[in-house]
Amino acid sequence: MRKALFYVPLAAFLALSLFLLSGLFSDPRDHGSALIEKPLPAFSLPDLQQPTRLVTAADLKGEVTLLNVWGLWCPTCNAELGFLTELRQQGVRIVGLYYVQPVDAAFGDTFDINTLRLDVQDKLAEQGDPYLLNIVDEKRSLIFDLGVTGAPETFLIDRNGVIRHHHVGDINPQNWPKIQQLYQQLQQGGSDAP
Amino acid sequence: MIAEVGHLALCFALALSLILALFPLYGSYKGAAGPVLLARPAAVLLFLLTAVSFAALCYAFWINDFTVAYVANNSNSLLPWYYRLTAVWGSHEGSMLLWVLMLSGWTAAVALLSNSLPLILQGRILGVLGFVNVGFYAFVLLMSNPFERTLPFFPVDGRDLNPLLQDFGMIIHPPLLYMGYVGFAVSFAFAIAALLGGRFDANWARWARPWTLAAWLFLTLGIMLGSWWAYNELGWGGWWFWDPVENASLMPWLVGTALLHSLAVTEKRGTFKSWTVLLAIAAFSLSLLGAFLVRSGVLVSVHAFATDPSRGLFLLAFLLVVVGGSLLLYGLRMHAVRSQARYQLFSREVLLWGNNVFLLTATLVVFLGTLYPLFHKELGLGSISIGEPFFNSIFQYLAIPFALLLGLAPWVRWKQQQWQPLLKPLSLWLVGALVLAVGVLSMYQTPAANLALLGLLLGAWVTMATIGEIQQKAAQLGGIPGLFKLQASHWGMVLGHLGFAMLVVGIAMTKTFSVEKDVRMKIGDSVELNGYTFMLSEVYALNGPNYGGQAAELEVFQHGEKVTHLHAEKRFYPVTRAVMTEAAVHARLSRDLYVALGEELSGPSWALRVYVKPYVRWIWLGAILMALGGLVSLSDKRYRRKAAVKAETGAKAHA
Repeated sequence: MRKALFYVPLAAFLALSLFLLSGLFSDPRDHGSALIEKPLPAFSLPDLQQPTRLVTAADLKGEVTLLNVWGLWCPTCNAELGFLTELRQQGVRIVGLYYVQPVDAAFGDTFDINTLRLDVQDKLAEQGDPYLLNIVDEKRSLIFDLGVTGAPETFLIDRNGVIRHHHVGDINPQNWPKIQQLYQQLQQGGSDAP
Repeated sequence: MIAEVGHLALCFALALSLILALFPLYGSYKGAAGPVLLARPAAVLLFLLTAVSFAALCYAFWINDFTVAYVANNSNSLLPWYYRLTAVWGSHEGSMLLWVLMLSGWTAAVALLSNSLPLILQGRILGVLGFVNVGFYAFVLLMSNPFERTLPFFPVDGRDLNPLLQDFGMIIHPPLLYMGYVGFAVSFAFAIAALLGGRFDANWARWARPWTLAAWLFLTLGIMLGSWWAYNELGWGGWWFWDPVENASLMPWLVGTALLHSLAVTEKRGTFKSWTVLLAIAAFSLSLLGAFLVRSGVLVSVHAFATDPSRGLFLLAFLLVVVGGSLLLYGLRMHAVRSQARYQLFSREVLLWGNNVFLLTATLVVFLGTLYPLFHKELGLGSISIGEPFFNSIFQYLAIPFALLLGLAPWVRWKQQQWQPLLKPLSLWLVGALVLAVGVLSMYQTPAANLALLGLLLGAWVTMATIGEIQQKAAQLGGIPGLFKLQASHWGMVLGHLGFAMLVVGIAMTKTFSVEKDVRMKIGDSVELNGYTFMLSEVYALNGPNYGGQAAELEVFQHGEKVTHLHAEKRFYPVTRAVMTEAAVHARLSRDLYVALGEELSGPSWALRVYVKPYVRWIWLGAILMALGGLVSLSDKRYRRKAAVKAETGAKAHA
């Protein structure tokens, strides 16, 4: 018994190696989101251009859409604007979900949607505007429900408002073809897709 | 041409490491002196050849030789010369070359400094080191050759060094860290040599101790610098992220710390033998595992090098041979070894055992937290991530018993200690610690600061108990002059423990009292934070050698008086198209003022992040103090004197 005890470290190490071996052949970035194949969570958030108008999940239905989480504060998102604008010109429907960073009212910070609108307009005029509309998530509630870990992230949503793909990081000419395949499938699939 | 010289030198080095792995081990197996005597010159030559190879790569960077693929990918003609040289280890291939340079450096150091060891043992130690060397040289040459050419179509200019790495901290962080990782190979070689020979006496521990101390010292400084660098360069004011690669460096450190304490027991009392050997194997195995995790791409991390499954496969195979082989040897040999020493429940042995238990629990927590997402996914259970709250809460609970034991252990004798004589002095020091902790906290007027109170209490307890122990020693040795009789390693322990106290206080205070504010500011605007007024006085365009961007100047006032002037930058590196934050930091022992410049907004105005972080310096100063403790311990005369005595008796035994 005592003798066997001295082989425990070896056994533990061999078990670990098995995991490391199988881990070598899978992509750590490829993490399935718990939301895939689930409908978009319910929300009701203001449109950046007309803050009095509230956008809901129903507004995104009807056409295959890319829901792009972004913010002015995020350099990668800004770098992505150019390519997304090209996609819009090719006819891809892109809706922005604006990630508002937390402000602390105790320090006198305030969030002002009108200032944000002007800032966003400046930026998009300069870099290109890929967005059909921008949803402002001031309290980050939808962003939380979607399980967003950072920006930029993009969700591919089918005609019925079901999330079909979750992409972490920027969309660029290198990784677009993979998403495009699914996008075209969904478009051709018509409205009878689940 | 020079690059080919470097490549060739590396090939010769691989051949030499093969000689080093085979002949001395064969010689010590057969008991023949000849092959063993080959070890020393082979080890030294191995280091010299690697140095030539490393110098060749440095030269290629120096002259902007973009026909070398690695140079073209990691440098640029506009890069200042000092960053061109540090770019040598800025990416995978070059950092592996640095790794083997250090490995051969440690091997040569062991060869030169182990004169006093019995010849057979020298052969075993150097042979095992040679074996480790073979693996890494083969990996460099076959899987990640830094001397590959881009000929005939070479780029006119290079792709530039990752801007994150263009910083002073980055110049010395990887070398120190690698010195630590690779240094544990020496402790490992001593352990394997002991397993091969079947001798685990106090001498073994005494020889292994200074090497382990040296490796631990480098690792401590390396981790400290990494944390300091992240704080200055990443612009979020954080100093530890529980990133998989940070964790990969923390695990060998925790086990190495446990090993240092366990070696003390084995040296002084001749017990804990199998335990110490296992820790020595584990410390190096975790260094190797770290290298695997960083370079194979099984985990997502900000540090991960470009991923390539064949590299990962090679490293995994190497890991299996080295770690699997040594653990098998451990199973075969170790069960026959019995410890003779007897000790009571309340003795220093048991308290040091407690130290090991807590350090290893911490290692296990980091290990599971780092690899659990991998296990989870490979078992088909989907992706999960484990974040800061998991690590922070468990470490917080582990710190309590650990610090309590740490204060107590130096007071307790080996073998057996009566608790009555300790009761009075220790309770006095405990009351002192309570008064100190509550006193410091009362200056902050926040009764709800549990974490800060806990940290201050633990820190004050460790400090008071350590001072008390010195005072007790002084009383025994006849006053303050008697303290000069204390061994250097005792002072090393004192410094290390005080460093730990400082670290705990720093972490708890920073976590509790840091305040931050995201603001939008125009020129002339000011913002108030924790009694400091930050006024934005100027923003102008930057014009660096290989970057542009903006710089902001801020004036800081407190009670109407100017405290300091801050200069924060946001750099844009056009070649790599990367944006970098150079935070402005004004450091004092009691607090840091920290400003990071963000995006330019319309107006014109700027987004800024402003922090006041109390005691954050203490975290790094604590780590430096620990490393200093290691250095002082290393200077202890007995590591040299007794080794010399043993050499004599060893020679007699041979005669």
